Amino acid sequence: MEIEPSVVFTIPLFGGIPVTMTVVVEWIIMAVLIIASLIVTKGWKLVPEGTQTVVEVAIDSFNKFVENSLGNHWKEYAPYLGTVALFLIVANTIGIFGFPPPTKDLSTTSALAIMSITTVIIASIRARGIKGFAKSFFKSPIDFFIQMLDLFTRPLSLAARLFGNILAATTIMELISKAVPIVVPAVFSLYFDLFDGFLQMLVFVFLTMLYIEEAIE
Amino acid sequence: MDLLAIGAAIAALTGIGAGIGIGLATGKAVEAVSRQPEAGGRIMQLLLLGGALAEATAIYGLLVSIMLIIFKP
Repeated sequence: MEIEPSVVFTIPLFGGIPVTMTVVVEWIIMAVLIIASLIVTKGWKLVPEGTQTVVEVAIDSFNKFVENSLGNHWKEYAPYLGTVALFLIVANTIGIFGFPPPTKDLSTTSALAIMSITTVIIASIRARGIKGFAKSFFKSPIDFFIQMLDLFTRPLSLAARLFGNILAATTIMELISKAVPIVVPAVFSLYFDLFDGFLQMLVFVFLTMLYIEEAIE
Repeated sequence: MDLLAIGAAIAALTGIGAGIGIGLATGKAVEAVSRQPEAGGRIMQLLLLGGALAEATAIYGLLVSIMLIIFKP
């Protein structure tokens, strides 16, 4: 088993840009999500029926979930959180279809964590202004170091948690399917691929939301 | 290699603390919900947060263990 993703092909530009398996699977997920959203939202009516009802209920319940924490500000952050949630749920559970999950690469999870912490900083600046944001660092002399540490440990812990969970799940699934190739992997796949993937998505989105909530208060 | 394997095993022992911690937290959450069922949603959120934070320690141990085996420093 190797931890580094394999290079699929190289783009012959600027002396060759290696494209890893992670990036290819991410492109596949992005294409699936974009095409699915185009198909699903085609020909919507005022009175919903069929798939439109399902999609509207799903989006509504997610908006309610965000509104519970963020209050009146939910409209600004719900789209970002929803997009991350959609991407993560597909990325974490794509192991069922035989693709390596892109979230088992530390680069993917670090990128998502940096995006999240950037959103938190922007939310803080929008809520309190640049002066207020700077002031929040200088409440007391010790507070400055703790706040600075927070700025680095939060994304680190977000990235390491997602990466560790998915890597552990794929490793255990690989070991199981090597030991017992039939029936048993299917049962364990229900927990490790579906339930764990969903739970980790929920934890990532929930923690990001919590940090935003803390920043805009 | 033998010592590396023992080191990896010791690193994975962090799971004990996280397991006990999450078990205690879940037990308390069940108690709280049975006393006040209408606060279930809020308690669920807090439990998720606590579970995520407690789990992080175990995940760090696991990561150290996996990296010890794979990269063989």
